[in-house]
Amino acid sequence: MSSTPPGAPSPADPMPVGDRRSRILGGGTRVEGRRAVAIALISTAVFFTVLVIVVVNSPGWDEFSAKFLDGEQFLESLPGIGRAFLVNIQLFLIAEAIVLVLALIVAVLRSLPGPVFFPIRFLTAAYTDLFRGIPTVLVIYALGLGAPALQIQGIPTSPFFWAVVSLVLVYTAYVAEVYRAGIESVHESQVAAARSLGLTRWQSTRYVVLPQAIRRIVPPLLNDFLGLQKDTALVALIGVIEAFRQAQIDSSATFNYTPFLACALYFVLITIPLARLIDWLVARDRRRRLAGAR
Amino acid sequence: MRRWILLIAALTMLAAACGEEETPPASSGSPSTPAEAQTAAECTESHAADLFQPDALTIGTNVPAFQPWAAGTGKDGPWEGVPDEGTGNPYSGEGYESAFAYAVAEQMGFSDDQVVWVPIPFNNSIAPGPKDFDFDVNQTSVTPEREEGTTFSDGYYDVSQALVVNKGTPIANATSIADLKPYLFGVQIGTTSLDLVNEVIQPDQQPRVFDRSVDVIQALNNGQIDGYVVDAPVAYVNVLIGQAENGVVVGQFPEQGEHYGAVFELDNPLVECVNLAIDALKSDGTLQALEDEWLADLTYPVLQ
Repeated sequence: MSSTPPGAPSPADPMPVGDRRSRILGGGTRVEGRRAVAIALISTAVFFTVLVIVVVNSPGWDEFSAKFLDGEQFLESLPGIGRAFLVNIQLFLIAEAIVLVLALIVAVLRSLPGPVFFPIRFLTAAYTDLFRGIPTVLVIYALGLGAPALQIQGIPTSPFFWAVVSLVLVYTAYVAEVYRAGIESVHESQVAAARSLGLTRWQSTRYVVLPQAIRRIVPPLLNDFLGLQKDTALVALIGVIEAFRQAQIDSSATFNYTPFLACALYFVLITIPLARLIDWLVARDRRRRLAGAR
Repeated sequence: MRRWILLIAALTMLAAACGEEETPPASSGSPSTPAEAQTAAECTESHAADLFQPDALTIGTNVPAFQPWAAGTGKDGPWEGVPDEGTGNPYSGEGYESAFAYAVAEQMGFSDDQVVWVPIPFNNSIAPGPKDFDFDVNQTSVTPEREEGTTFSDGYYDVSQALVVNKGTPIANATSIADLKPYLFGVQIGTTSLDLVNEVIQPDQQPRVFDRSVDVIQALNNGQIDGYVVDAPVAYVNVLIGQAENGVVVGQFPEQGEHYGAVFELDNPLVECVNLAIDALKSDGTLQALEDEWLADLTYPVLQ
């Protein structure tokens, strides 16, 4: 996995370590760099000290901290919200798995060439436009309380079921567009080359276009996954007691907003490690792919 | 920009709050202890500076306002009284809370024309912080938690909770609280009904909790829940006007000492005057007469 043999001089390594730091800090040479670090530290310290002083001395600080930063309330609400957060986790894991598959199908269908497939392209385009346009909260409301109102025999009434359906509908539309962007980013010459080797259209999509496309779109896919995670909180609207709803219940029972902080903590606890993990996976994948090229 | 406005508003209020503390000793000889013989009108006069707007009593309530709390037709402000839809207009003076509010206003020395109704969503009325009204009447149960962020008047109506279910479903045959355990209940968030479900019924399944009362009712209509718990007067209206399409009130729960109170900004001194008015209305029988007039049909068999 080594990119350059140990003894060999690395010709024009694109980014020496010092450079990255000085680029962030805005400095130039090494001496200037050290000065820049000092200035950055001081300015950061001053900035946050002033910020804290201004906030803590604001006229409403005492009431604010009692209402929003009550340590006792925080600890009290933490376990209950944690249990409720399991519902969010179930929701986004199930929905995300379905979204990743469905969105790929939609994107591939939308990329089908030729006049015969116009109706399919039209329908997929209409679907993505519609569901990217409607606020998620409305879809959840409409399906969660609306679909069961049809009283059709056999249609589930479970809000959890309709929550998954709503999230899948909305996020498939987003993710399909991400997939499509990935597919369109693959140069046409790749398809031409594959076809000239005798691959069918399906084969060239499956073995040439999609592997390159999907690699490129991992970071934006993560974006949508995080969006999906957060939007699971909207499911509270149709009666499911998930983390946000539990926080609301605690909050309205005690007249204190601290439970929302506990709720936010759970979401952040999941999203930040996930983002770092994906960054790491992308970097690893890139190192592996470029290993031969160096 | 907005932050500046907030800051200025906060400073203004701070200044106003500081100013208030100095005035009472100067104006009245006996500070802090309310004289026994003081009437609501005298009290209001001495607290004229605390009114939300001068020479008027500003009262909040929800839009729409529902019967039998506000009745009467006509359109004033954002309210439109449509009897078929169960809504009323608080300006009419008809309906229990509307009539109560005008009776209080009269005790406090205001004419009917000086009463100004403002639209206040239920959740805003009980949120802590500054209020856009002198007091709010919106079938708000007094709870210790709510009292931390707002001030309540004495009760003006003792209320029980009732259970609404669909006709012909198994739960409709329930006669005791123990019969209710296996069912799935719905409630509106921020209401005392959730406590009742969790502490009195203690059902086997976690209840569903909705934002709005109409969502709870829709869930019952959809068969997504077996029943919902709500203040008995609200249950009455839900069934009466067919919001709960197939609904029936199975019964009410034992009274939990719950009552409706008018909501004030925390430590608003006007509450004293309104309490004097309520005392007067209780002792001269007005409140009971209003209850008999508007709320007679709201009692159900008690589930034990």
